[in-house]
Amino acid sequence: MTEKGKLRQTVFAGAAGLKALAVRKTELPEYHTDELIRIVNLCKVYDTGAVKVIGLNNINLTIKRGEFVSIMGQSGSGKSTLMNILGCLDRPVLGHYYLDGIDIAALEPDQLSLIRNRKIGFVFQSFNLISRMSAVKNVELPMTYARVAKKKRNERAVELLERVGLGGRIHHMPNEMSGGQRQRVAIARALANNPPLILADEPTGNLDTASSFEIMELFSALHRDGATVVVVTHEENIAAFTDRIIRFQDGKIISDMKNPGPVSEGKTKNI
Amino acid sequence: MLFENMKMAFAALRANKMRSFLTMLGIIIGIGSVISIVSIGDTMRSMFSSIYKDIGITQSYLCIGYWIDDVRESDYFTMDELSRVKEVFGDEISYIDSSAAASADARADRNRLKINFTGIDYNYQNVQPVNILYGRYLNKGDVAGRRQSAVLEAGSARRLFGTENAVGRTFRTEIYGNVHEFTVVGVYEKEMSAFQKLLMGGTDDEGEAFIPWTLLTWPNDSFYYCHLFANETMSTDELNAFYDELVSYVARMKNREKEDFYLQTALGEMDQVDSIMAGLSMAVGGIAAISLIVGGIGIMNIMLVSVTERTREIGIRKALGARTRDVLIQFLTESAILSACGGIIGILLGGGIVFAAGAVMGVTAVVRPGVILLAVSFSAVVGIFFGLYPASKAAKSDPIIALRYE
Repeated sequence: MTEKGKLRQTVFAGAAGLKALAVRKTELPEYHTDELIRIVNLCKVYDTGAVKVIGLNNINLTIKRGEFVSIMGQSGSGKSTLMNILGCLDRPVLGHYYLDGIDIAALEPDQLSLIRNRKIGFVFQSFNLISRMSAVKNVELPMTYARVAKKKRNERAVELLERVGLGGRIHHMPNEMSGGQRQRVAIARALANNPPLILADEPTGNLDTASSFEIMELFSALHRDGATVVVVTHEENIAAFTDRIIRFQDGKIISDMKNPGPVSEGKTKNI
Repeated sequence: MLFENMKMAFAALRANKMRSFLTMLGIIIGIGSVISIVSIGDTMRSMFSSIYKDIGITQSYLCIGYWIDDVRESDYFTMDELSRVKEVFGDEISYIDSSAAASADARADRNRLKINFTGIDYNYQNVQPVNILYGRYLNKGDVAGRRQSAVLEAGSARRLFGTENAVGRTFRTEIYGNVHEFTVVGVYEKEMSAFQKLLMGGTDDEGEAFIPWTLLTWPNDSFYYCHLFANETMSTDELNAFYDELVSYVARMKNREKEDFYLQTALGEMDQVDSIMAGLSMAVGGIAAISLIVGGIGIMNIMLVSVTERTREIGIRKALGARTRDVLIQFLTESAILSACGGIIGILLGGGIVFAAGAVMGVTAVVRPGVILLAVSFSAVVGIFFGLYPASKAAKSDPIIALRYE
């Protein structure tokens, strides 16, 4: 990053900070308990030195508790950027992101870690399991960082692996499992701290069709049990499982609509 | 959580056994060499101090200073003066003589042997005990009557007479131009450690014998040295005070300044040798400690590789809620365990070398707990210091970039 770029970023960050302060003092954002995610005028600009790339351009979005949402778009549409911000891996440059009522823009990196640990369950395209740890140890990991007692941790990890259908493989290493099984371990791990938000980034990207549908059915089941699930994908048939589809293009939301016919369990069988 | 971290670190190190071992090797060699060098130094010091205890730690020699130009006849000690000193200081002096010695060829039948004669008083056995194998030690009568009696060392007896039991046999020798015919009244045996023999060296072809000091009075019953053993029950402070009084008294007796006399004490000599040895072992140990720093750099190097290799893992952990501190502690624990294990193996290795060497040389090896403590804390500091940079590099990494890393 050039000196100029650094300076610019500092100014941006400063401006965002000031704005956040101003907002907090004057008009506290409306906060409804049924709104899990509230994004207000969100912008994200990448400074690659020569050119500024606008990742997200003035996004406004609200996701309620218990929704099953897919975020769609081509690569470069800004959906990954939004995913990083939703997952509190990145902070917005301008605008606000309230997760469960907490203003993410104002948080320090370690506070973000805490939010990720307690509020978000991640499911990644490439599973991102730690390869030298067994399935049960991988599931225990978020609870380790949440300082859950060892015995409790183990009990819950086993319970979660049973819930995703891997009760017989809890001590297997990731490389001893198929892609679908690994993704199930990842889902169990995402559920470990019972977070209000499950965030899946192309969860079926590395899976064959059959496994993909199994995984999506698992998400549907979680949704029916009351979880809020956000799936980022570029595949229509994956998005079809969800209740609400948000489409992105060039850093903007181009459509946000209810899925007219979400795939139910019965329908999947026919496909 | 600490235990948890340690388990995690062990698992990570086990995943790369060979690499972990090679990294530890630097620390193992460093700690091992520091401990063995310092302990060998300590062992030598303890051997020297036991040798000084053997030859009498309260022993001292007093003579006119070697820096004095106008040495007078009166600067020499006479027998009367020695007895006066003994009387004045009473119990404080347990033995006094003139430190007279002579070396001469002894002949018995067809055998010849060069013998170092030591002139002693009858009670020398009290301060420098030897094992009498046959016959007796010199007695008051031998000394007072200037009898030509000798107590011969066993090996010398064997070489001169062909038998160790040489009591009653005679040999001829010429000391200071006078021919003497000595009668062997006793044969003694000297016990020495291998190390002591090594230090004394070269006395194998020469014999040893004690004779009355009253025989070695050339010239004119006067002596250069006053050789004495102070009472062994005195503390170091008392001993030093006694030495001070002794020199003052002798100087007054001789109409000299106190500074004109030279007092050589076993205590002072031992201190000197000890401080030289201590300095030497510290210096060599310090050089060896440099290898510890090299070992530490090895740890830093391998931890940097490990952090780069595990960038994705760090990203995953951060995404799942690991704080900067959690990652920092995880990697610090790994480097600390590397150096701690290296340290422990190094201590065993170093200690093993010292004890093995001690067993071979027939001496008791000394490994001070302080040295071990120092080495362990040094290796811990090395592990933490050199682990800090790679760990903070890992801890500060951005989860988005780390997750994207292939």
